[in-house]
Amino acid sequence: MNTSTLNFPTGEHIMFIVPNVFETMLMLPVTSVDPSRLPDERVSGSLGMVGEHVDGTVYLHVPEALARAIVGVLQQSGSVQNVSDRDVHDVVGELTNMIGGSLKSLLNDADITCGISTPSVIRGAFTVKPPPGVRADKFYFECLGHRFAVEVHLQFN
Amino acid sequence: MSIKILSVDDSKTIRMIVKRTFAPFDATVLEACNGEEGLATAAAEKPDLIVLDITMPVMDGVTMLTKLKEDAALKGIPVIMLTAESGRENVAFIAKLGVRDYLVKPFKDEQLIEKVIRVIPLQKKAA
Repeated sequence: MNTSTLNFPTGEHIMFIVPNVFETMLMLPVTSVDPSRLPDERVSGSLGMVGEHVDGTVYLHVPEALARAIVGVLQQSGSVQNVSDRDVHDVVGELTNMIGGSLKSLLNDADITCGISTPSVIRGAFTVKPPPGVRADKFYFECLGHRFAVEVHLQFN
Repeated sequence: MSIKILSVDDSKTIRMIVKRTFAPFDATVLEACNGEEGLATAAAEKPDLIVLDITMPVMDGVTMLTKLKEDAALKGIPVIMLTAESGRENVAFIAKLGVRDYLVKPFKDEQLIEKVIRVIPLQKKAA
């Protein structure tokens, strides 16, 4: 394990990346909030990272109501009536991709090179248990009155 | 005359964002969800500019760009590439592809507009 991996400030980066993704791409303000239980009706995106010195996964857990509201904003209708399940899947996948891609770029800039997978999206109230030895951090945010979470599991080798 | 911009991205979210970005301008945004559809739309519509994602199913952006540059009728269409990764290696790779410019996601609408204005003459819609 090199110095870069020991000192990589995952939390600091996520606290910058998540509001940056939401505010630049969606024009929606995001605030950091205290941990709390998310609604059971949620959509989760996950994206894998693999490299010589790091393996891991980035998860984005979004209440379905928030995902639908975001698509409504993007459609400029403000309504969730015409939002399909496919649109919800797509927005969660793309947000996961941008959050994971941004984290990957910061890892690479810290000389911790890795590749990322394409995002997968699932629906349901799943929780993820990190394997032993994996550094797991979970961060909570609020957007449009809904809480959501970003979870990062990283194992530095 | 309205400018034609082709957005090639497998994510409808990104295509909606590109559409939103150019809504105030006299521009028509055409959409394709992979490189294969993108090439077909480019051949049929002859857009003034292509905003092209890299990672897509069926045909990725790099393959589409290579095929575009091999086609005498299409090779002159300027391309701005979108990427989710800003790492040094990725940026160096994109620079070698012969694109007019690139943009790292997430990006602000103004950043995309600024890059497009350098390539084609965008005009605001008449009030």
